[in-house]
Amino acid sequence: MAAVVLLAGCGGPIEDDELERGVQTLESTAAEGRLVALDVVEDRTKVTFTRVHARNLGEDAAHEAEKLSDAEARPGNAQAKAEAVRLAQDIDSALGDLQVSPSDRSVARDVEQRLDRLSQRAARLSERL
Amino acid sequence: MRKIFEIALGIIAAIGGFVDIGDLVFNTQAGARFGYQLLWAVPVGVLGIMVFAEMSGRVAAIAKKANFELVRERYGPRLALVTLVASLVLTFLTLAAEIGGVGLAFTLLFDGPEQTFMFIGAILLGAACWKLSFGAIERIFGYGGLALLVYVAAALHFRPDWGDIGRGFVPDVQDATVYWYFAVGLVAAAFMPYEIYFYSSGAREEGWEEKDLGVNRANAIIGYGLGGLLSVGLLVTAAQVFNPAGVDPGHLGTVALGAQAAYGETGLLLALLGILFAIGGAAIDTCFSFAYNLAQYMGWQWGKKADDPRRWTMSWMAAMVGGYAVVATGIDPVELTEYAVVLSVVALPLTYLPVLLVAGDREVMGDHVNGVLARTLGWAYFGLICVLTVAAPILLFATNGGGG
Repeated sequence: MAAVVLLAGCGGPIEDDELERGVQTLESTAAEGRLVALDVVEDRTKVTFTRVHARNLGEDAAHEAEKLSDAEARPGNAQAKAEAVRLAQDIDSALGDLQVSPSDRSVARDVEQRLDRLSQRAARLSERL
Repeated sequence: MRKIFEIALGIIAAIGGFVDIGDLVFNTQAGARFGYQLLWAVPVGVLGIMVFAEMSGRVAAIAKKANFELVRERYGPRLALVTLVASLVLTFLTLAAEIGGVGLAFTLLFDGPEQTFMFIGAILLGAACWKLSFGAIERIFGYGGLALLVYVAAALHFRPDWGDIGRGFVPDVQDATVYWYFAVGLVAAAFMPYEIYFYSSGAREEGWEEKDLGVNRANAIIGYGLGGLLSVGLLVTAAQVFNPAGVDPGHLGTVALGAQAAYGETGLLLALLGILFAIGGAAIDTCFSFAYNLAQYMGWQWGKKADDPRRWTMSWMAAMVGGYAVVATGIDPVELTEYAVVLSVVALPLTYLPVLLVAGDREVMGDHVNGVLARTLGWAYFGLICVLTVAAPILLFATNGGGG
């Protein structure tokens, strides 16, 4: 059924509202990754949980990057689409660092700040769409 | 102490309905997206399932019949067969999702390949079904799932605005179809058909009689009340942790993150253990329900204490193996169960009508026939169930599965 619903939305260049939904997903992923990183900074989590959850969120970001990259842009939203792809890749990269070093508090602090900025970037992009 | 253990059936049946893998994520999404606005949907569902659980337990104790025995008796062969097929498909899909959920919970606890943990989960669940008595299963998984009370504590930990919470319990008519999708999903979750199959068959497994009607009432009220409380705890925690942060939860790990936000590693561990037991309990609920329904429809002997339970045993084993095979394909368990929750409403009227008819039949129930309150609430909720049956699939398509 999900496939039917997805197929119904296929065909033609990506519309602004679809792009906006993708960017909102990225904003949410970055915000959640930030919460995960924050708990590492404050030493109030388990290494296994951080690694697994960072991996899952990173996969979401990577999936969104692929989806947006594959989508055809309209002349009016090509720049926004390209920015969204970069955003997705940056979020994936930050979460990858957390996954590799889930107990390193200095890495986590850096990841937390990056994801905070990325989340804000996504919010601004979403507002523009 | 013995009295406390007597409500285990209600707790495990309620946990299976209110906090299985789909509901854990669904409740958290509802709080993250809408804050406290959907709290009202929880008690609407809780009161309804209390009414029907009490009725089905009463019927099991007085008429000595479980739910699918009533279906077979009250419906013609065709309608009974339709009900059987619908219930088996939905129960099986939910079981597959729960086995996947057990694997995901193990992965979050220990890290490692999800598929390996799903296989280990299926083996452990099968062993529990095989080796443990019905009472031990109820107690281990029902009370283990109560570790999820950490969400009630977490909800209070963040010092919520009680005025806002109070307003959340008053239905708010909104235009957004996504809002109604979540409202219907929260109410429907309380009525998952396998809850009532498991509850009524469990009452027969425990040999309830007329003297146990008080125990039945306590199970229905306290067990399902606790299920509803956990649901509220998850929703209020999400409203405070994820809503302000702009997080839209989609993973089981996000659910655990809410408890970690309140109590750090201790909260995380309690949440993951509670999730593991709750989803494990739901897996056993659905696995046994699959076999109960089939056996009761076919007229086989069934249950842990039956003289010849071979066909019943083979049925639940086949369901467990088949359920594992479904998640071994790599399908997302959370997505699978969310669709199952909404689609299950199609089977709801067929599941609940026989309970209502028999509980109201004085020839069968004698002095224990439905009173005015049970009859009024029963038919009112049956009307609501019929509305849900029509609304849920429409909302599912209109909102692209809640995605907007």
